[in-house]
Amino acid sequence: MHSHVRPNQFVAFKLPSEQTRIQKIVPNTEIFLGKYGAFPANQIIGRPFYLTYEINETPGDATSKYLRIVSAAELHAESLITEGEGDGDDLELNEDGTPVRSNRETVDDRSTQKLTLEEIEALKKESSSAGRDIIAKLLESHQALDQKTAFSLAKYKLRKERKYMKRFTVMPLDVSLLTNYMLEDREAAKTLELRDELIGLIGCWGNVHHGGNTAGEAITSKPDGRYLVVDDTGGLVVAAMAERMGMLYPHDGEDEDEDEEHAEQSKAPENEEAVNEEEEPTTNSTKRPRRQMSAQGNTITLLHANKQPNLNLLKYFGYEQDNMSESHPLYTNLKTVSFLQLLDPNADMIYAQEPPVVPEAELAQYKSSKRSSYHRKRGRWMRTRRVVDEARLGGFDGLIISSMMDPGSILKHAIPLLSGSAPIVIYSPTVEPLTEVMDLFSTARKTAFIMRRRELEEQADESEDPAELSQRVSAELAEEFPIDPTTLLSPTLQTSRVRAWQVLPGRTHPLMSGRGGAEGYIFHAIRIIPKQESIEAAGDPARKRRRLGKQTDTPTDTPAASGDVEMTS
Amino acid sequence: MPSPFLTPGSHSSLDQLALLHLRRDHAIPTVLRLHDDDNAGYKEGKVTTTRFGSFPHSTLTDQPWGSQIGASKVDTGSRRGRGPQKKQNQKHLKRKAEELDSATTAGEGETPQAAVAAASGFLHLVYPTPELWTTSLPHRTQVVYTPDYSYILHRLRARPGTTIIEAGAGSGSFTHASVRAVFNGYPSEEPQPPKKRRLGKVCSFEFHEQRAEKVRQEISEHGLDGLVEVTHRDVYRDGFLLQTPKTGPSPKANAIFLDLPAPWLALKHLVRHPADGSESPLDPTSPVYLCTFSPCLEQVQRTISTLRQLSWLSISMVEVNHHRIEVRREKTGLEFERVRGAVVFPKDVDEAVTKMRQVEEHTRKYRESMLQNDDDESTPIPQSTAKKSDPAPAANDPPVSDVPAYNQGRLVHRSEQDLKTHTSYLVFAVLPREWSEEDERKCREKWAPHQIDTTPSEKPKGKRQMKREKRQAEEQREQREQAQAQAQAQEPAAAAATETA
Repeated sequence: MHSHVRPNQFVAFKLPSEQTRIQKIVPNTEIFLGKYGAFPANQIIGRPFYLTYEINETPGDATSKYLRIVSAAELHAESLITEGEGDGDDLELNEDGTPVRSNRETVDDRSTQKLTLEEIEALKKESSSAGRDIIAKLLESHQALDQKTAFSLAKYKLRKERKYMKRFTVMPLDVSLLTNYMLEDREAAKTLELRDELIGLIGCWGNVHHGGNTAGEAITSKPDGRYLVVDDTGGLVVAAMAERMGMLYPHDGEDEDEDEEHAEQSKAPENEEAVNEEEEPTTNSTKRPRRQMSAQGNTITLLHANKQPNLNLLKYFGYEQDNMSESHPLYTNLKTVSFLQLLDPNADMIYAQEPPVVPEAELAQYKSSKRSSYHRKRGRWMRTRRVVDEARLGGFDGLIISSMMDPGSILKHAIPLLSGSAPIVIYSPTVEPLTEVMDLFSTARKTAFIMRRRELEEQADESEDPAELSQRVSAELAEEFPIDPTTLLSPTLQTSRVRAWQVLPGRTHPLMSGRGGAEGYIFHAIRIIPKQESIEAAGDPARKRRRLGKQTDTPTDTPAASGDVEMTS
Repeated sequence: MPSPFLTPGSHSSLDQLALLHLRRDHAIPTVLRLHDDDNAGYKEGKVTTTRFGSFPHSTLTDQPWGSQIGASKVDTGSRRGRGPQKKQNQKHLKRKAEELDSATTAGEGETPQAAVAAASGFLHLVYPTPELWTTSLPHRTQVVYTPDYSYILHRLRARPGTTIIEAGAGSGSFTHASVRAVFNGYPSEEPQPPKKRRLGKVCSFEFHEQRAEKVRQEISEHGLDGLVEVTHRDVYRDGFLLQTPKTGPSPKANAIFLDLPAPWLALKHLVRHPADGSESPLDPTSPVYLCTFSPCLEQVQRTISTLRQLSWLSISMVEVNHHRIEVRREKTGLEFERVRGAVVFPKDVDEAVTKMRQVEEHTRKYRESMLQNDDDESTPIPQSTAKKSDPAPAANDPPVSDVPAYNQGRLVHRSEQDLKTHTSYLVFAVLPREWSEEDERKCREKWAPHQIDTTPSEKPKGKRQMKREKRQAEEQREQREQAQAQAQAQEPAAAAATETA
């Protein structure tokens, strides 16, 4: 849980302009928030999240700077007052029923504001009350203030507050916030324009959750919670999954009081172990054998298209690829495998070329730097071997794809790696790639596939070996159908969009503008294991025969004709 | 017993919930049992009958999840007291399909007979997930569906280790989704290890006694005991403390979901210091996230007004708009005659013109023949001849393409036929941790409020960097030692040299 701001943690600042800024909170530094001012980081470390602060200072005196917590009552003041005035929805009316004030008389030029730009600038310099006095002055010197309706006055005030108030709110940096930040404040294309509601859907349809007590408990038939991921959003999808699996935040779930002691305790041994980080589990790491990518259950295996995966965004959660913190849960539970390693491991240098083993005696004579580099290389080779072999064995509990590559080409290789009943979720910013996937599993294609298979099987000589036959059949089928369309159950395509509302007394309506761009679509289905021999669907044989005479009869007929015929397959 | 929702393992096993998937949005939840004393009759033991055949549980147990399971020949006739059913079953299932799908019957035989495979019929055996459960659960109230609960749980920051309060348990769909979200291990009887992790938990409140009981029973059947605590309670009046109102232990919740008709009446209990002096049900060490689920705008306005008075922050209201999309191949063209689902209509202008030329040609020929015969039969022959002659030119056209039927036409998509245009309005809010003067003073002591290092310290050193520095230091030391050794070795020589010089 995000109980308080920790030193050296990334946090987000919501500014009066609605913008978000992400900063690392380094102790004994100053934090700059652009035109809204600067303040010492130490004044927010250890404090709770979601508080709004005002930067107060006496001009010219750096040490006078202090942050004042703006109370909730103050933040809600305006709406609470209007609510007090009878819900705000009855306007003051003239005798003839027209509103007392309307915008009929409004003068549409700037002459009504008597304060000049220079005067405002001077005020800004002198201001010590976080901008409140500027706004008061502005309102005071506005000539036509009394002509404004209540609504337009509120809007005017809000606009000025956004501009001049030196306020900010400290928010914990989590996946939801990062998603909105990338979408609104950064390049949305980098995260494939993923939106919050779609991340929620991906997680749910992907059945992404914690795999249970991974350590200590007796290992059952198979470890739980192993997910396969293809993520081209810079790590956002991986982060979202890690969040749902309880391994994104290094300090999550720790008890508040023990927290700091524990952190200090674990610091010391880490440094000693650091040198042996990549080594094989030898005697020295008996206490906590944390080998990279070594976890069995509750893991994410990332398939990546380039030599190195792009997991940039994970840095906000304390996981940096080129500077990994050993204590981070992702260190052991996030595994990366390239497509080359998955499909043709021997073509991959790291996998195929084993660094020669050096005998212990010779090793002892090495210089320490050479020795540790030897251990590092051995460690990397063994790790790659282990992770790649494990991935190739399959048995994953779910597949999540949000990729720029053609989803069909990924499915071809990834579906066989899934265990039965495992969910498959594909996110795409646009619908077209996913309609193609839907078509790959269309009822018509399934029917044709089953017919073709039966045809091939019937053609076979009786002398043919059953194993050979099935091999030949699947080879021939693969030519026409790169993906076996009978391996997925109920493929579904959907989209979701959240619409935000403004709720104020007498002024409730959906927000006037929002973000356009990619709509975002989710495909999902369930991996199933079809029986080798075809099973007829249940139904009235007479009716079936009639149809058989015409065209086909298989378990998967078109929905229109489904009468009593089972149509799932 | 592990829950099949959370840790299903690789195979179905006895006494666990399994879903029998018939078709999209239609799965039958059933607890796998060989015997069942609910009902007597089948020789094969417990049997689930569906419109696609009968499935003795012996054929469903210990199968890999996701398997396609064939139906079995089950003697439905000789069962005691079920005589009349026989004919209906043998006639056709369609009429009775809906009720049959849910009818689960079971045998009392000492040793269930082995099942005999039927000629046709199958289903898929899948493990339950909150999504599948939501579409197949027995409805007691309005259900919170996946598009809503997925977003709600994401916004509520319901993560492993969270404690979440849910009020109105209703049909239990949100209960299942939230227990998956907060799950991070089953509670064990053994004493907690010293470095204890907080285990996620759902505290579910329901004021309808029967529904509460039903949810409790389901939770137990689904192996979620200890992860979900169902309380029968009027939360407006009695608040959210567990076991007993006012004096019970606090759930210490981090997240709250209120699916109640008047959420504002429950909010007075969800504060840091309840007015009646009882313990707060909230976690004192973390921010608390809240979501209310109300179909009407008036409810939303009252809720938000109360939230503002009670100092909740980041208040926002949204509605979720979700729809499914159908994908199909749209076949339009004259070549699709007699293809089901296709539109026989010119696919483009060229085809239209060609077709019209043909029609014109035929009309001309017909007129000529008419003139020649000088006959006056005025039956509407022209059209019929045009139609009759249609297949002939089609045959002259390039022959039907060798594109297989499933690849013909154009891929199109559209929204599903029946849209849910409104479910409910979602109100979100956050209540920060309490922060007292005392806390602030302690923090100030620990972190000097005005200390700013003039040289901005580099970012904290990472493992690699530390390692490198350590290595460098070591190398330097080695070098130094070597240099010293050399120097020592050279010293006498040098001394000798100077002497000789």
